[in-house]
Amino acid sequence: MFFMSESRQISVSKTSVSKLAILALAIVFAAGLFVVGFDQGHIFSIVYGEQAFNELYIHELTHDMRHAAGFPCH
Amino acid sequence: MKTILFLTIVLLSGALAGLIHGTVNFAIVEPYLDQAIGIENQNLFDSGEEEDTPQFWAEYDGYRTWQKSGQILAGVILGISIGALFGIVFALSKNSLPGTHYVKKSLTLAGIMWFTMYLIPFLKYPANPPTVGDGETVVLRAVLYLSFIAISGIGAVAFYKLSKRFRNNQKIISIFGYAVFISVVFFIMPDNPDEITAPMNLVNEFRLMSVLGVSSFWLSVGIILGLLWNRIESH
Repeated sequence: MFFMSESRQISVSKTSVSKLAILALAIVFAAGLFVVGFDQGHIFSIVYGEQAFNELYIHELTHDMRHAAGFPCH
Repeated sequence: MKTILFLTIVLLSGALAGLIHGTVNFAIVEPYLDQAIGIENQNLFDSGEEEDTPQFWAEYDGYRTWQKSGQILAGVILGISIGALFGIVFALSKNSLPGTHYVKKSLTLAGIMWFTMYLIPFLKYPANPPTVGDGETVVLRAVLYLSFIAISGIGAVAFYKLSKRFRNNQKIISIFGYAVFISVVFFIMPDNPDEITAPMNLVNEFRLMSVLGVSSFWLSVGIILGLLWNRIESH
């Protein structure tokens, strides 16, 4: 009885996914949230420089979802 | 479960739920966005910042088409992002969630995350249509909104951890504790500094549609991830 109880506890607390997978998903979460919710030209500025902050391609592309999902905009 | 399968079902469920969210928004939120942008344009003409000319409307139509076409794509990207967070939390908490079927477990978690990380923050900082919102305050508003979501989400996890120390019939204390904690945070956090300059009926109807859209995401991601998880675990 003691052993049955112990093995049940072990299976309940076991996590079956790797830490690497959790880290990969955490990066996807942060990157996606930034793109949709907060980018004001930052990502394209890596390639296009200051011009990206005026053209706001990603901001305009995600504009309607920003408003609809409750992110601050304008 | 193999890592590659785990990542696949988490990202797929987020993308599909995001596709549903974007499509729902396209159907029910876009008309309110168009109305609000119409008011914004009229304000620009009245203030003299823009002129009501064919060139203005040609340029407007161009970027408005770009914005509308992004609604569904942005829904998929946001869905993958929030779905990734949902997948992490589900993987770490599934053994503690009630029920024997993964759909029930997944829907329960989706409900908890919808409530603590969306609805409560929404009540403090509700969505606003275009024409409401000062560009000068956007960083402050973003910090306030994200902070409140983080405080509410971390608070819920902390009180859940605390509940493990209590016996079954005392676990209600943790729920009560979270309610008191988030109520205090609700009243301490500064309000949105921007004045609402659009008609309130438009703002309220837009907010209702916004809630329905986001809720469609949480409902979908809960069902889809649960079904996929169940299918893989049962094989």
